[in-house]
Amino acid sequence: MPEVKLINIGKTYEGGMQAVKDISLTIKDKEFLVLVGPSGCGKSTTLRMVAGLEEITTGDLFIENEKVNDLDPSQRHIAMVFQNYALYPHMTAYQNMAFGLKIKKVPKAEIHKQVMKAAEILNIEDILQKKPGKMSGGQRQRIAIGRAIVRRPKVFLFDEPLSNLDAKLRGQMRIELAKLHKKLDATIIYVTHDQVEAMTLGDRIVVMNQGEIMQNATPMDLYLNPNNKFVAEFIGTPKMNFIKGEILKIDGELFFKNNHFLFNISKVNNQQLENHIGKEVDLGIRAEDIYAEVGNLENYGKVHAQIVAIELLGNEKLIYSELEEHQLVAKFSAEQEVQIHTTIDFYFNLNKTYFFEKENGKRIN
Amino acid sequence: MKKILIYIFLSLAAITFLYPFYWMIVASLSPESEIGGLLFLPSEFTFASYTQMFSKIPIGRALFNSILVATLTTTGVIAFSSMVGYALALMEFKGRNVIFYIIIFTMTLPFQITLIPNYITMVKLDLVDTYAALVLPFLLNSFAILLFRQAFLGMPRALIDAARVDGCSDLRILFQVLFPNIIPTIVIVGILTFMNSWNEVLWALIVIRDESLMTMPQMVTLFSVGGRAESQLGVKLASAVLLALPIMIAYSFFQKYFIQSMASSGLKE
Repeated sequence: MPEVKLINIGKTYEGGMQAVKDISLTIKDKEFLVLVGPSGCGKSTTLRMVAGLEEITTGDLFIENEKVNDLDPSQRHIAMVFQNYALYPHMTAYQNMAFGLKIKKVPKAEIHKQVMKAAEILNIEDILQKKPGKMSGGQRQRIAIGRAIVRRPKVFLFDEPLSNLDAKLRGQMRIELAKLHKKLDATIIYVTHDQVEAMTLGDRIVVMNQGEIMQNATPMDLYLNPNNKFVAEFIGTPKMNFIKGEILKIDGELFFKNNHFLFNISKVNNQQLENHIGKEVDLGIRAEDIYAEVGNLENYGKVHAQIVAIELLGNEKLIYSELEEHQLVAKFSAEQEVQIHTTIDFYFNLNKTYFFEKENGKRIN
Repeated sequence: MKKILIYIFLSLAAITFLYPFYWMIVASLSPESEIGGLLFLPSEFTFASYTQMFSKIPIGRALFNSILVATLTTTGVIAFSSMVGYALALMEFKGRNVIFYIIIFTMTLPFQITLIPNYITMVKLDLVDTYAALVLPFLLNSFAILLFRQAFLGMPRALIDAARVDGCSDLRILFQVLFPNIIPTIVIVGILTFMNSWNEVLWALIVIRDESLMTMPQMVTLFSVGGRAESQLGVKLASAVLLALPIMIAYSFFQKYFIQSMASSGLKE
């Protein structure tokens, strides 16, 4: 059972820069785990520590119950796919894929069998004799994945493998990677800064920021129940809206007060709000939970704001408006008639609001 | 019009460089009596100077020695300097930059400064009058180290990471993964080293007395100024032609790389 366990893993560079702080994480057998976060959050460093390309400063790393802290990358039974493919330029695709096995002194016939098998899975039989310089980005990435498959590793490591591809190809490769995961039944750790990639590929997502794990959950759980403001903002497009305000209790009812409006939040199912009366908080709401009409909304708050920009996306449109220092974005259906530079009412579905502590961004719930 | 003037000027400049070579070759093929003039073509071509030279000195042996020494030195420099360059570019260890700066500093020292200490070392090691004396002191070269280091710094880091995951040792990464991708650098280092080694005369004069171990430049120098040519200009010139020939042939083959090396010196950052 190839299970990867990170126990209190930390990385401090010479000069004291702490890239990863005390991370504990278990990647289950056959799981597709995505590490996601902004650049510099420590996700790639974490992956490189698992690969053995970066020394682990503190903590223990186990792959299939074996402590591998001091093992060379080649002894860890891992395979890695790099962002810029990292194919050997002087070798053909076939030689690139065979190189690792050749070093391990695997018999030629066996190497051939493995390479052809991987080539068939990836549908690259016809480019095996080409050198990387003569291939397209997508083909190179396939060869790089092929090189990983041929090793028959216990764990696949992907370091932003799709970032160098154009948008269309990226979408295509994303689907292929998901299929490949099913086909290979493999344990995968996948690093990306693209939350869409994370959401579509991952069985589980670990959101990282400044060397720490912000949240570790399934994609839907991250989306619906973010632990903190960082995750709420990072996951989902467009970004969640945040509005600063204060929680007040007036005549036994709870209110969220802002310079522009007063929402009655008594019906919001959140017991913890009582503990934050008189405190400043951030109210978070996703674009799709803001409406142009009351419709069937039962528990709503109304905000009056001017539209400053409209982005038409086809079946829906994004409406940008400004409310003091806050920029609001709402997602309306394309049929909804709105005019730029007009002032309209926005209806917030208060049942779908989130509240975060102002000081540390922690979710109040 | 301006272009024509430039061409005329450049042609004249080229002739001033080429004519001495031309004269040397033609004169070595002329009868001894005709050499004095600034001739273009002699009345007849003769190999008399060459046959005389072969009979007077073991020039064949010297040619063999020169090729052996230059080849060993070149191979050594490529192997060892690339290892040092690899360590300086891609391995992390304390004092890496200090070591690099010291190596660069040695480039500023003329060979003459280390001549005596090197000689004493050779004497102490009992290597005087051996091939080792001609090869050993030249096996590492700071300029070559610099060129290799820069070439390795230009390689994508992920390529080395990928090789590590594939199970390559550092030596395998260097020779099997990186070398095939820095062929121009290797050729440049190879040519420069081979040329330097081929032309080295001072060091050879100091550490070699045994005639059977002498290299071409040493042999030709001793022959020309040492009196054995008996003031026969043609014979001296014949030996000079033989000395210059291999380098000229090598140059014509590797001209492209050679000019590249002189133009860039590998100093890209």
